[in-house]
Amino acid sequence: MGASVDDAELVDRFPWVQVTHDNKHLFRGWLDRKLLIDRCDDCGRFHHPPKPICPECWSSRITPTEVSGRGTIHLAMALHQGAPAPGVDYAKGPHPVVAVDLEEQPGVRFSSTVVGCDPSEVEIGLPVELDWVERYGSPFPVFRLREGAKRGGKG
Amino acid sequence: MARRNPIRDRVAIVGLGSTEFSRDAGGRSPAALACEASIAAIRDSGIAREEIDGVVGALEPGAPRPSQLAAMLGLSSVTHHSSPMPVAMFGLIDAMAAIFAGQCDTVLLYYAFTRAPWNSRSAAQDPFRRYLAMNTGTAKPPMPESMDPSAAYTTWASRYLHEYGASREDLGLVALNMRANAARNPKAAMRKPLTMEGYLQARMIRDPLCMLDMDIPVDGADAFVLTTVEKAKAITKHPVVIHAATAGMVGPNEEDQLPSLARHGQHVVAEALRERSELWLEDVDVFFPYDGFSIITLGWIENLGYCKPGGAGRFMREHWDEKRGAVMIDGRVPMNPHGGSLSEGASRGTGHLREAVTQLRGEAGERQVADAKTALIGCGGFFFNSQGAILRRL
Repeated sequence: MGASVDDAELVDRFPWVQVTHDNKHLFRGWLDRKLLIDRCDDCGRFHHPPKPICPECWSSRITPTEVSGRGTIHLAMALHQGAPAPGVDYAKGPHPVVAVDLEEQPGVRFSSTVVGCDPSEVEIGLPVELDWVERYGSPFPVFRLREGAKRGGKG
Repeated sequence: MARRNPIRDRVAIVGLGSTEFSRDAGGRSPAALACEASIAAIRDSGIAREEIDGVVGALEPGAPRPSQLAAMLGLSSVTHHSSPMPVAMFGLIDAMAAIFAGQCDTVLLYYAFTRAPWNSRSAAQDPFRRYLAMNTGTAKPPMPESMDPSAAYTTWASRYLHEYGASREDLGLVALNMRANAARNPKAAMRKPLTMEGYLQARMIRDPLCMLDMDIPVDGADAFVLTTVEKAKAITKHPVVIHAATAGMVGPNEEDQLPSLARHGQHVVAEALRERSELWLEDVDVFFPYDGFSIITLGWIENLGYCKPGGAGRFMREHWDEKRGAVMIDGRVPMNPHGGSLSEGASRGTGHLREAVTQLRGEAGERQVADAKTALIGCGGFFFNSQGAILRRL
């Protein structure tokens, strides 16, 4: 589906971000429910967010590459207030936000929310996997705690 | 290792001007505030308006551009003007470099702050501030998951607590220090006494940071006049000069991609300042760690070398002056005696710079540190605005 969406429609589908020549693959991937992270053809290193060159070796041969979406929570917070979004209701409880170290290359992180658990269960160091929700009519990548990861919350 | 620092002690800060820092500027524009502070700074310097040939103004939302301010002030012959990024030291570094390079002799450096509809309820009611929300460049607001710097400091605060087993009380001591010091600063927006109990009960905004971990939005302006040390010495016998100043950054520096708490912009600043300076912590009489978020202050205390990583909470407890209700390092060196951004107001470090000069001039009144000769400023945070300066009185 992502491949059939032209640039103008792609920009319209994601009005809250600045879609560019360098990151358009990331968002086309979302339309196909695939998380594509930039990888260098020459040295094999991943980087994120998308850049026109590899920051390691300066190669401009970059391929957006599907990753598993598995990883470990490196940074975490719980928003008690914040920007509005469909399906986010701060009155019902804090909204978790995490940066996940991707298992393909720890240190390269993807940030989103965690669904399917109580916000108090979200902790640094827990393993997560990728999932998808709908936001403004397009797929939006989120994380879910992996089986056996739950520690039963803070309280 | 020493680094080259030919600019050492060559540029002086000879004029200070500022408005009050208010949560309700009573219908005054950022331009009006910038004019008031600028005129006060120029008058304070004793330098004639005709001699101002440089204008440097930080790119703060709503602040007048240097061209606009030059027009308002009627500056007739300007040979250097620029708009550095916000956070105070970028402007200071640009101004000093322009003077040292001969692009101009005397710079008016100014910063104007205005509360925005997204960070102040009363500002959201003000029709004249609607334009501030129009220029976000997107048709919809950012997603809650956006790692803008303010959100990202919270996530790194959480990482800090996780890695070092630190507590929210460690962050709270930063807030208590600033509030106790602000009581002696008539300009400060927040002067009501604060206890640890009060801190822990404050409204949570982004767990683990509550509203008292975040600087307080204000309307206000700060201005400075800088010139060559030769010209400064013709005005005053003991001018305040910039001994060393630097920015610091690593790559990657995106908020969620920063390598670790062990290596970021503050570490680069600390290394560069130390290697360019003949003065270091033992010489410092007054210390200005930035406190836009309380976690940033813990970072400066540790990364400048006052204590080990993870030890800032313990350091503050060990150097706590019970009578003062604030830190006095070795019983001698206060930390942000003006109350910092948490309690004086969110001036992105211009309050720190103003108070440093005020202290070195010996004009801080009841806040005055006895015979203060050297000030250390650690400004900005972890990602792309870390910066620092050492100022001294000649």
